[in-house]
Amino acid sequence: MVIELKMNKINKSLVLVFLFVISAWLPSSQALMLKHDHQPSAVKKENLITDNKCKNAEVKCAKTMTSAFAPNGDLWRLWAQQQKLWVQISQDNGVSFSAPKSLAIPAEKISARNENRPKIAFDNAGGVYLSWATPRERKYTADVRFSYSKDYGNSFLKPITVNNDNLLAGHSFNEMLVTANGEVSIVWLDGRLSHQLRKQGKKSNGSALFLAQANFKEASSDNLAVFTNQQLANGTCVCCRIAMDFNKKGDLAILWRHIYGDNIREFALLTHIKNEETGRKIYQVSHDHWKINGCPHQGGAISVDKENRYHMVWFNQGELGKGIFYASSGDQGKTLSQPISVGTLSQQASHPYVNKNNENIDIVWTQFNGFEHQLWHQRSINNGQSFSKASLLATAQKGSDRPFIINKGKTSYVSWQRPKQGHWLQAL
Amino acid sequence: MNKHLSAYFTLGLFLLCCATAQANYQAVNQQAFSKLSLEEIKQKHLGKRWLMVLWSLECPACFKELELIKTLKLEHPREALNIVFINADDTDDTDDANNERKQVINSYDMKSFVNFYFTDGQGDLNRYQIDPLWYGELPRSYFVNEQGEFHGKSGLLDKSLIKKWLIEK
Repeated sequence: MVIELKMNKINKSLVLVFLFVISAWLPSSQALMLKHDHQPSAVKKENLITDNKCKNAEVKCAKTMTSAFAPNGDLWRLWAQQQKLWVQISQDNGVSFSAPKSLAIPAEKISARNENRPKIAFDNAGGVYLSWATPRERKYTADVRFSYSKDYGNSFLKPITVNNDNLLAGHSFNEMLVTANGEVSIVWLDGRLSHQLRKQGKKSNGSALFLAQANFKEASSDNLAVFTNQQLANGTCVCCRIAMDFNKKGDLAILWRHIYGDNIREFALLTHIKNEETGRKIYQVSHDHWKINGCPHQGGAISVDKENRYHMVWFNQGELGKGIFYASSGDQGKTLSQPISVGTLSQQASHPYVNKNNENIDIVWTQFNGFEHQLWHQRSINNGQSFSKASLLATAQKGSDRPFIINKGKTSYVSWQRPKQGHWLQAL
Repeated sequence: MNKHLSAYFTLGLFLLCCATAQANYQAVNQQAFSKLSLEEIKQKHLGKRWLMVLWSLECPACFKELELIKTLKLEHPREALNIVFINADDTDDTDDANNERKQVINSYDMKSFVNFYFTDGQGDLNRYQIDPLWYGELPRSYFVNEQGEFHGKSGLLDKSLIKKWLIEK
């Protein structure tokens, strides 16, 4: 008994010494880690404050913002935070908004940075349509997702995957348009072909442009609509957003960055004519000769007017053309007007957006002068033959999202998310 | 007592394992980028050729470049590869991307190099500080000569070009 007690004492002492060593080593190892990290304490502090602020859903916390007017005049703004989609609705054109509300969709990862962001659209019967990309378990793999509400956002269909290949491959950079009758068109950059080629030990370059279409409004609740999947082009750039608009006939006009020859990254245009399965012509729109085996991270924009003229903007850093350019085409891309240079190249003019509404062609873009981010605007009232002098609309201090233009009747609004600062909305 | 003893040791070992795993994960040599740090690194390298490699989690070609440099590291002495890495993702500590960045530095064996990263909300400023005429396309590399002059190049680098600049000279 005495011996056992002594042993107990020894054992306890050993354990205590062991635990003391462990506990003493833990903080020192942490200190060592911080030393290796070399991060200034001020930076850590700032991040910590941001963390606390962003525990609640708040517009300022959004990296990207998507805005759209519903047919009833409501302005919806949509962003992703904490694996949820959040919305706020304004009934006074953005002067005031309802409290942030998370949509009734199960939480999942949502791509929302730079060129990637969730999309929202409406039909004429209270239908709300959502599309986003959800990253999968392996790097550069994702699925394009879709959900639909027939009761103006109160309840949503369980999200479905739009790409039908069931492959752990890249499916991202989704764009969506919905007609008043609920015909949904989603385009995205699809990696199924390159995935298959790699599996066969073959080389591939770029992604493919895919289109999915379905009508959920007209389908019965027992027999849900199914998305078609159609390849429209192959050999696209893998990390630039796509742009899409309806033309005068209701066909889709799609603009994207394509890979020509030996990594020449230029913009390409295609009109998806309904019921015409073959013979769709792809036109090269830009000829700036930007050769880069990499990611420009700069997609273009397109807006088609009532006379079926396609208005386009893009950014390139080519040997023959650098900066933002505007051009238009009256024959769906076959011929093009002389491109006009936009913005101040030395001030990082980039991320342009174009919109034709009424008689106005508006172009917005961002610049950075070394101190602040700036939102700029130019307008043409003569169908793009000339533009007014560029005017500064707003500034941002903590970063800048891409700017967009949305329409409400004859009035156009610019929507610009300023991370950590707030969402800027202004009638043009 | 034996039961207690094993419980104590199990707890101790568990704590040790956790701490070691954490140390391995976090002990990544990386610093927030600033204009000052760029100047310091430039001064430190005067008289030597070096390469500044900018990469992003959102750039598939960047990973090809990191893999290429990892291969070079196996083929040549570490001292011959005078490379500074900068992650251009502009993320905060709440982002998954922040953890991903650390994982990339570990898995591409970049720990023995100097690693910078763009700080949250300062990405455009950091980019401008490096080169006002760089518009964010990636991968982006700067070949810096003995006089500290920077020559920028966008897109995936050839292995031969890196070898020519840093090794064969």
